Amino acid sequence: MSELEALKSELQGLQVKALASIKEVENLLGLGILRVYYLGKKGKLTSVLKGVGKLPPQDRPVIGQYVNATKTALSEALDSAESLLAAKEKQQRIEAERIDTSLSGRTAKRGVLHPIQQGLNEMTAIFAQMGFDIAEGPEVEDEFHNFDALNIPQEHPARAMHDTFFFEAPKGQQAKLLRTHTSPVQIRTMKNCIEAGGEPPLAVVAPGRVYRCDYDVTHSPMFHQIEVFKVDKDVSLAHLKGVLQYFLSAYFEKDLPIRLRPHYFPFTEPSAEVDVGCVFCNHKGCRICKGSGWIEVLGSGMIHPNVLKSVAIDSDIYSGFAFGLGVERLVMLKHGIPDLRLFFENDVRFLRRMGA
Amino acid sequence: MKLSFSWLKEHAPLTKTPQQVADDLVRLGHEVEGIELPRAAVKGVRVGQIISIKAHPDADKLKLLQIDIAEPEPLSIVCGASNMGEGDKIPVATVGTCLPNGLRIKKGKIRGQASFGMCCSEAELALAEDADGLLILPVDAPVGAEVGEYLELEEAILDLDITPNRGDCMSIRGIARDLAADYGLPLIEPADELVGADTTVDPPKVRVSAHSDNPLYMACRIEGITVTDSPAWLQQRLIAAGQRPVNGVVDVLNYTMLDLGQPMHAFDADTLQGDLHVRSAESGETLLALDGRDVTLNSGDLVIADDTNVLALAGIMGSEATGVTNTTTSIILESAAFRAALISTTRRTHALVSESSMRFERGVDAAMIVVAMDQAVQMIVDLFGGKSSQMTVIGDQAALINDKQITVNIKRIETRLGIHIPETADAVLARMGFDIQREGGDLAIRVPSHRHDVSIAEDISEEYARVIGFDAIPAELPALTVIKARKIDASISDAVALGFVQVINYAFIAESEQRLFVAHDGDDLRLENPISEAMSVMRRSLWPSLLNTAKYNMNRQQAGMALVEQGRIYQGPVDSHQESNMIAWLMAGEYQTDSWYEKSRKADFFDLKGAVESWLDKRGLTARFIADDDVQGLQSGQTAKIVVGKSTVGHIGKVDGDIAGSFDLQADVFVASINLDALHAGKKAKFQPIPEFPSIERDLVFLFDKTISSNDILQAVRKAVGQQLIDARIFDLYEGKGVPESKRSLGIRFSLQDAKRTLVQEDSDQAMQAIIDAIAKKFGAELRG
Repeated sequence: MSELEALKSELQGLQVKALASIKEVENLLGLGILRVYYLGKKGKLTSVLKGVGKLPPQDRPVIGQYVNATKTALSEALDSAESLLAAKEKQQRIEAERIDTSLSGRTAKRGVLHPIQQGLNEMTAIFAQMGFDIAEGPEVEDEFHNFDALNIPQEHPARAMHDTFFFEAPKGQQAKLLRTHTSPVQIRTMKNCIEAGGEPPLAVVAPGRVYRCDYDVTHSPMFHQIEVFKVDKDVSLAHLKGVLQYFLSAYFEKDLPIRLRPHYFPFTEPSAEVDVGCVFCNHKGCRICKGSGWIEVLGSGMIHPNVLKSVAIDSDIYSGFAFGLGVERLVMLKHGIPDLRLFFENDVRFLRRMGA
Repeated sequence: MKLSFSWLKEHAPLTKTPQQVADDLVRLGHEVEGIELPRAAVKGVRVGQIISIKAHPDADKLKLLQIDIAEPEPLSIVCGASNMGEGDKIPVATVGTCLPNGLRIKKGKIRGQASFGMCCSEAELALAEDADGLLILPVDAPVGAEVGEYLELEEAILDLDITPNRGDCMSIRGIARDLAADYGLPLIEPADELVGADTTVDPPKVRVSAHSDNPLYMACRIEGITVTDSPAWLQQRLIAAGQRPVNGVVDVLNYTMLDLGQPMHAFDADTLQGDLHVRSAESGETLLALDGRDVTLNSGDLVIADDTNVLALAGIMGSEATGVTNTTTSIILESAAFRAALISTTRRTHALVSESSMRFERGVDAAMIVVAMDQAVQMIVDLFGGKSSQMTVIGDQAALINDKQITVNIKRIETRLGIHIPETADAVLARMGFDIQREGGDLAIRVPSHRHDVSIAEDISEEYARVIGFDAIPAELPALTVIKARKIDASISDAVALGFVQVINYAFIAESEQRLFVAHDGDDLRLENPISEAMSVMRRSLWPSLLNTAKYNMNRQQAGMALVEQGRIYQGPVDSHQESNMIAWLMAGEYQTDSWYEKSRKADFFDLKGAVESWLDKRGLTARFIADDDVQGLQSGQTAKIVVGKSTVGHIGKVDGDIAGSFDLQADVFVASINLDALHAGKKAKFQPIPEFPSIERDLVFLFDKTISSNDILQAVRKAVGQQLIDARIFDLYEGKGVPESKRSLGIRFSLQDAKRTLVQEDSDQAMQAIIDAIAKKFGAELRG
């Protein structure tokens, strides 16, 4: 057998053996070892090449081709085995890392805003969009701001309807009380404006806690109101209606009709009770609206000239509207909450369900 | 006020149904709280005329009737009654009718004879308790007509909530006037057949010495009456209106008041000693009132007195001793005007209230004083006999009937209502009694005497809005008012974002709860009329409320609490009180519940502190927490004051175990509070370049005396290293085995960085040595090997 034939046969044997080994190898590590063993700098193929020098020059290209073919064949076999093994090993890793994705997540602790707070936030935001500023005032008030300046003089029958909480005070001292509504903030805001040399327009919302000496299923001794008022030249009842319409539709997130009914409040003239189309039946009539299709939501009116006079605003030049929103009532209507007392029991199960 | 529909119809010829009238009343500003239908009209019961009566072939007591009800064919009806004759008109319940007793009329056969309806008695129409035989209708009853309509059986009681400004509507007549004006109907005037005065009866002698409080006093004596119960119809009306019948005379006066709005009073003339005197009370005089209360009078109260006794608190309540009873034979009637504000003040001072005072304080119509007196005298004489005197009148009625004039420009009204006012609206106001003259754009308006609530231009504006209808006013958005931009207070939402549940509690608490955290110093704001002792003082700390909320919830199987509340605290004295905005937290019980990834763990001081720190960090603030053993109600050694800059803004700590126990809380409870008004605005974020060079981190572990605070240690570290130190913190804490009792091992991890170069080994070695030296020098602590 010629040197050439012998080399050829050696190469062939090497290739057969190598391909068989490659087929058998089970992991990437073993494959790497095989690659080095056959194709490495000191590998089998290299050592076969060393024998090429002994061949006659005319045979060298022939065997060169053989060597290259073997190298290519082995490389390809190794590469394909490698990608197969890599895929297999990746698959094994994935299987090993498999988890039960239905287990509960590690929850970040989540708190909730009280539903009244959410209501206050939503309502004030709507008015802020309409250009109303936010004002606050004291909850412990005097009779001037809570009553007198609002055109409710001492002997007025309406004063008795307010169920006022009074404070114990040494004799001779001015009586103090818990404000029965947020309307005193209207007085304070207008007065501050005028006393600081300012003048209308004024467009203000005053959210806050108010108190009435009344405690039963439908009354809480503390609740929340938002006083809304605007004073400018030529403010009209039609503007009041427009603002109410906008607000109520925005708050209840649907277009609902509104209805104004003449009523009486000492601090507005004309005065109106405001009904909104029942949010439960969309004004069709249901058990909650007693079939009328209407739900009473708030009291409103054009600010009484005596009120403007008490803060030195000229009612011949300026007019204004005002209304007071009962926050609890609106939140109850929006979310179908049946009982006022739930708000102040603070049962966290209720709060978590209703809160956001 | 309860309004009888049939009574209302005596004042105005209404044609609408009670429900329609109720809707119109609401539109006019009178709230209708409910409609009762005591005897609803029976539909389907018609006037029938008996054509023939024959005996039933198989029953002795039954008869066969042929009845004409104005239909093509007469009805055959089997009937058991015997009081009717051919040609009589009777109520016939036709097939399908449901009677008030629930009986539904069906076609039927009675003993073999077909019957197509039922002839009715008064009882079956609910007109009487029981009846003997059929109701025989008047001969002029139209055959075929609905009996309910013919007999005007339709009755409804409307429950009205009259607003305090509309004293004129506290009577049937007042409501009728508003309705009639709206409907364009005439108001029916009261009958005017007056009983002639009998000159043999002496008119009462009356002296009025408080003329400004009592501008008109009218009195009439009636002698020789026999007081019996009032007739059934009158009693029924009073009962329907929510009043209890008393005796004939009192009932007539109450009836007159409900009818016309003028409250009146009657004295038993034989119990009086001398003349009547209307005067101011002397302080200390007493009156045993009709409601059985002994009232001690103040000077300034207006009374009716005789020579020796106070007989009545004017316009509010009479005395028991001089009231009319069933044995009374001679009476003096009073119809008067009293000053509204005085009545209001007096009745509030004495906590009295009566139907009379409610009307006087809202204002009664001076024009009705005489009319009511005439009507009452006539009714009493008609019903109970007797002779009436001539009227004694002190004061001038004509002068009382106010002649208020209002002049207003129509443009002003139109601008402020946002609608055009048509002249047709004037006619409606005219029917209400207003006299309106239009001269160009100006209106000259005379206000009728019953409208005490109308005195300025805006009142006229309301009247127009009312009669035109609020529905006619368009909805328009006003021009936008530009306001100063304002930052929204995110205090509570930031706390909620950190995992707390917001609660809202009453601002008043029990005084005993106040004392848990605030010592007695006389500065509580205390309510004079609290709902209960548990709601009697304005809170000066939010913690008692939070503890109560925790108690409420932990009693309901909640294992862990993380609560936050924002609200005011209030501090006296009353005349210069202060309100501050607070935020307060409470944590108790399980902070972490058992889960597949972690074991349960109870909340501790540092859980709450971490939350407070994060909350402050969100506002750009950093606080120091300085141990404070003197916070009332919190446990020494687990309590700190929260200091921002130089000021103490709040406290945090563990609630005293006994206090927590008193709220049924077994777990450790941690609370914190911060005065929001004491927080200044935090630093605004300012740009700093991201460091270019890497930082190095090193750890050192020392043994410290337990008494040395980590805060002091870290401060010493910062001072020792200086500018290159970017962070230093305790990363490990160990006490116990291998460490002496009085000591603890603290691991300090610090990071160094330089803005200008990469730090090398030498830098960190230097820093470490500086720290070791400083710690050794300051605290005598040694590196732990």
